[in-house]
Amino acid sequence: MMRPVKTYYPILPVIISYGVLFGIGIMVPGKWQLVSQLAFYCALGQAFNLFMGMTGYVDFGYVAFMGVGTYGMAVSIYYLYDKGLGLGLIVIGLILAAVFSTLLSLAVGAVALRLRGAYFAIATIGVNEGFRFLIEGARIWNGADGMIFYRHLKTAFGKQTAMALSTMWADVMVFGVAVLAAVLTLIYMRNKVGYALTALREDEDAAKVMGINVTKYKLTAFITSAILAGLLGASAWALKLTYVYPEDVFEIHYTVEAIIIVLLGGAGTLLGPLVGGLIYGVSKYYLSIVLPGFQLLIFAPIIIAIIVLFPEGTVGIFKKRIFGTPLEKYII
Amino acid sequence: MSLLKVENVTKRFGGLVAVDDMSFEIGHGELMAIVGPNGAGKTTMFNLINGVFPADEGRIIFEDVDVTNYPAYKRAHLGIGRTFQIARPFASATVQENIAIGGMFGAAGSEINVDEAMELADHYIDLIGLKPHRDKPAGGLTPIEKKLVEIARALAMKPRLLLMDEAMAGMNPKDIDEMVAFIREIRDTEGIAIVALVEHIMRAVAGLTERVIVMHQGALLVDEPTQVALTDPRVIEVYLGRPPEETHAEG
Repeated sequence: MMRPVKTYYPILPVIISYGVLFGIGIMVPGKWQLVSQLAFYCALGQAFNLFMGMTGYVDFGYVAFMGVGTYGMAVSIYYLYDKGLGLGLIVIGLILAAVFSTLLSLAVGAVALRLRGAYFAIATIGVNEGFRFLIEGARIWNGADGMIFYRHLKTAFGKQTAMALSTMWADVMVFGVAVLAAVLTLIYMRNKVGYALTALREDEDAAKVMGINVTKYKLTAFITSAILAGLLGASAWALKLTYVYPEDVFEIHYTVEAIIIVLLGGAGTLLGPLVGGLIYGVSKYYLSIVLPGFQLLIFAPIIIAIIVLFPEGTVGIFKKRIFGTPLEKYII
Repeated sequence: MSLLKVENVTKRFGGLVAVDDMSFEIGHGELMAIVGPNGAGKTTMFNLINGVFPADEGRIIFEDVDVTNYPAYKRAHLGIGRTFQIARPFASATVQENIAIGGMFGAAGSEINVDEAMELADHYIDLIGLKPHRDKPAGGLTPIEKKLVEIARALAMKPRLLLMDEAMAGMNPKDIDEMVAFIREIRDTEGIAIVALVEHIMRAVAGLTERVIVMHQGALLVDEPTQVALTDPRVIEVYLGRPPEETHAEG
């Protein structure tokens, strides 16, 4: 049997899953909050996986890209709300989010991507903390006072639309980011960049000798992943909450969640972050109902157990099970 | 015109002179060995040729291009291929993908897309006889199979010079003879120069190569046709300690 190496079938289960999730949110009353939270975790995992899963580098400062993305959207709404731009305001916000996260990832990548393993991880923690203190200390964009812009949003769009933007469309955009991240991941996997990333993840020195410009490909994955994080911050945080405080968005907790989601689902797989995001989001949600206050205490050993028992993640295990079956071409 | 020219190359690690003022040339399609006892600087010499690290002094010229300051990946694009002493295939990638990666990013990489690289990989999978393992992750292969995958991966790069680091270490005499025959065949069919790096398997050197460079304490000791080099008293003294005929049993 010819093994399908160049098909795009594996995007089907991803799209269908997000479609079903979205459908549940729309149809089942009272579930939209949970569904949008799940979509956020899936999108976070999917975006983070594009860098961590594909390169093997763990970026502990990842949330900084979401932070600057959040500020991108906030700056657009806060300063341009009275210019009569209409939905252009949101578009500019997304563009600014992408530009900010690109610039930050270029700056960080140029320095930190020269480091490997734990050194890279430590250096990137510094980026996140450093950026937060820069905004607070230099009083950029109101510094620690943050930006509150629901009023601006209301002035620009009217009450109805502003409400719809923050309670509905922001979440829809999160779904969009998740799907975009998945599509980009698969496109990378199917092209030279994906093979280069696999090679450098497995053995960076051997990859160089094979003719792979590892810096170029690492930076490509890093910037792509950072832009997705920026867009996620702009949607899930800025537009949805309509305020931003530096201590909220430059919060390392979210990076840790991203790492857990990717590991639960299966690093470097396409479906993994989706599965990991769902497992993480659902268990976090129900544990907080069943055992409020104790959810993290219960959650920690569960996560440790899963990661120790299934180091390849749930999708990694599943992939092995279906090797050689017709299902194989749909799951990576 | 020679394929590779090494001119007065020196590499120091702190106070240790690992490679000391080495100069030699390699011709197109030549089959030769760099030999020397453990610590003679052979692997460092390889690393300097393919750019794992830069030389402190001297120049390295490949096909009339001064590559002394080129990073490893650019030298690979020009046609310098390499296998490692301990085979390092990309463990999670399949055998086919491993070899295809060589094709995608090697000397012919800019003209080859992913599909073509996969076809090229199939060609080399047949050559090394690993067809049943094509779709298995390379991490699960035996050491000799990994070595073969690595050679195939290097060949898929379409190099003009292939550096093979200890291709036969840890093999029994029968496997060595098979590998020698295989490497000769590659040289003849692919028309590439091959430099094998060998520490002590004289069976391989004698059977495989036409010319031998002997390194000792980082410097060039002898650069002669194989039979002359292996019977040179200096080589016997510093490197073998006894005539090469008696070392056959070691293989």
